[in-house]
Amino acid sequence: MSRSYDRALTVFSPDGHLFQVEYALEAVRKGTCAVGVRGKDVVVLGVEKKSVLQLQDPRTVRKVVMLDDHICLAFAGLTADGRVLIDKARIECQSHRLTVEDPVTVEYITRHIAGIQQRYTQSGGVRPFGISTLIIGFDPHDNRPRLYQTEPSGIYSAWKANAIGRSSKTVREFLEKNHKDDLSREESIKLTVKSLLEVVQTGAKNIEISVMEGYGKVTNLELSEIEAIVSEIEREKEAEAERKRSRLAATAAGQAAMASRAADTQAG
Amino acid sequence: METSFAITGKGYVIVAADTTASRSIVKMKVDEDKIKTLSPHLLMAYSGEPGDTMQFAEYVERNIRLYQIRNLYALRPSAAASWIRRSLAESIRSRKPYAVNLLLGGYDTATHTPHLYWVDYLGTMTEVPFGAHGYGSYFALSLLDRYHDPEASLEEGLATLKRCIEEVSKRLVVAPGNYKVKVVDKNGVREVEL
Amino acid sequence: MNTFADRFSTTTAASQLRHAQKLAEEEEFDATMWGSSAGFGSLTKGVPTFTVPAVPDPTAFLRLHTDDHADPSCRIKIKHGTTTLAFRFQGGVIVAVDSRATAGSYIASGTVKKVIEINPYLLGTMAGGAADCQFWETYLGMHCRLHELRNRERISVSAASKYLSNLVYSYKGMGLSMGTMICGWDKTGPAVFYVDSDGTRLKGDLFAVGSGSTFAYGVLDQGYRWDLTDEEAQELGRRSIYAAGHRDAFSGNTCNLYHVKEAGWTFLGNYDISQMHYEGPGDVPGAPGGGYGYDIRVEGRNSSDPPEEAAAA
Repeated sequence: MSRSYDRALTVFSPDGHLFQVEYALEAVRKGTCAVGVRGKDVVVLGVEKKSVLQLQDPRTVRKVVMLDDHICLAFAGLTADGRVLIDKARIECQSHRLTVEDPVTVEYITRHIAGIQQRYTQSGGVRPFGISTLIIGFDPHDNRPRLYQTEPSGIYSAWKANAIGRSSKTVREFLEKNHKDDLSREESIKLTVKSLLEVVQTGAKNIEISVMEGYGKVTNLELSEIEAIVSEIEREKEAEAERKRSRLAATAAGQAAMASRAADTQAG
Repeated sequence: METSFAITGKGYVIVAADTTASRSIVKMKVDEDKIKTLSPHLLMAYSGEPGDTMQFAEYVERNIRLYQIRNLYALRPSAAASWIRRSLAESIRSRKPYAVNLLLGGYDTATHTPHLYWVDYLGTMTEVPFGAHGYGSYFALSLLDRYHDPEASLEEGLATLKRCIEEVSKRLVVAPGNYKVKVVDKNGVREVEL
Repeated sequence: MNTFADRFSTTTAASQLRHAQKLAEEEEFDATMWGSSAGFGSLTKGVPTFTVPAVPDPTAFLRLHTDDHADPSCRIKIKHGTTTLAFRFQGGVIVAVDSRATAGSYIASGTVKKVIEINPYLLGTMAGGAADCQFWETYLGMHCRLHELRNRERISVSAASKYLSNLVYSYKGMGLSMGTMICGWDKTGPAVFYVDSDGTRLKGDLFAVGSGSTFAYGVLDQGYRWDLTDEEAQELGRRSIYAAGHRDAFSGNTCNLYHVKEAGWTFLGNYDISQMHYEGPGDVPGAPGGGYGYDIRVEGRNSSDPPEEAAAA
């Protein structure tokens, strides 16, 4: 078949790179940030929302979507590509229920999505998906929270906490420093918001949080709830800064006192 | 033999179907649920060729669910019925048609009206105040012509359904033993004991 | 002429199918290549096919050569007589079958294995076409293993039976003949599914399939309880197959008995039905001692009820 080779865009460069895939990763890095945090028996997705234009209807812009009753997905990168991939995943969720009767496991749907992404790096006439995804959920007959990530190349992996999109490196480093095992619901949400605030300057109104607390139990936090958490974090930061300042002042004062004592003894 | 009934009343639809799965002279199962809940306000009773029934019902169930996940709201009963009828109409013109008869009962939350659709394997669809499939229909339809009340309360509706079931058990040689009865109204779908 | 019109029209079912196939081919990689589509390949592409006879109507062709009612000298004889049963209880699943194969009035074999060991925790039974059951259930075993490798967990009984059901449904009307029970133990506990070539698939506690099933039901239904002990359950399975083997001309010879527990199935034994009739199953757990046969069971007793003086005299 002639079409098998002459339409391929994704071909290796002489030094073994797939540039199209790397450009796709670049598109992901330009996308809005998304954070996933796994707690003891809860898993949280947080995304940075672009500010909507004055006349735009914000309900039509969604970055966290349901794939099935028990699985949520957030993505970073080209929104249009995301929509296509999400639709494929939703169909697979129902198709899986139709063929096997059981709902999909989180790993299964992650593998499926990563599989589609991989296929678009190896087929003729297509370009890779310009998105990374974070997938959260619970498996049927199981109460352990799950968090997975997929990338344009088709790689997928499981995480305790992770970030994708704009400044994801900073956020991931923040998570690495602050994530502990067995976080409670409140701690998980707080960590998610806190890590998002590393990159979102505009505060609560540009943050969207989805919490999953068990098979099929999903809630999206209201703006007021997020605002409360943000102001709490700010208060803590303030207090921390205050403590730091006073400590600094104390040490400065101590040093000054010591210096003056030394001067005194010399004088004496 | 397979029998199903459905009756509308003031703000609700009752859907009832027998619960036997038989093969030649043997009842293979006596507690089979032949009424699927397609969406929060939609019920579908199915009967017909063994194999086809389940395959078609599950196909419909998953597609209606997919619609709901994609659009964040469920199809209204009239739209769902039209889609299902079309699936059957396309199927009858294919190489391997589904031989499935349906009763679709739904509550339209937008207009606060219950709807009942009678659909057969040929792709016929009609909206009816009450409907039945199977041998039971030969007894129940005349009975319902006489006793159905579009403004009946749920208790009255269930009493009328009971009349149908009792009439069928009295006169039909191969009357089914047990029925599953479900109701859909503004609060959604629930099962009721007769 | 018809075929010509078919090929060039755009509205017939055949052309629609061709169009669908072309669309499917566009996707150069099958979903199964990355272990997706429930690990089974997507529904739209159907299931793997085997070649059907190159005649206009394969169904009619097959019927012509297999219908032994209309033509006793037909080429292909399909095995019809059988008794198989399976039931779920507190201690797992009991599977019991007879071992007779008949072709018309002739007993073709008395040592048929009608339980197909799909894998160490799944059993399938065989009624209807022996070849159909044997082939498709072995094929099912293959896919169960693939599912295991892809998903790193054992396939559920429900998924396995659904796979078989979808498979045979895709051949509906083409002459497959099977009535089978898929039995096993998974996360949900013991499970039994009835699957037949009509495409019916039923979840249940207790099933019997085959020409002798009615006789088996007679004993099985009466003795069945959820809280049977292992020994009682095994005895019930054995005795039900005996009943069918005794009464149904197309069932008999011996009974094969399996017990599925959480750790997988075990084969309990092969019991001769004539021997069970006269002497009982031998020294096995649950056996009451003595033969199952009516005459043996009631030996020395009768229903005559003479007045006392007559009895004394």
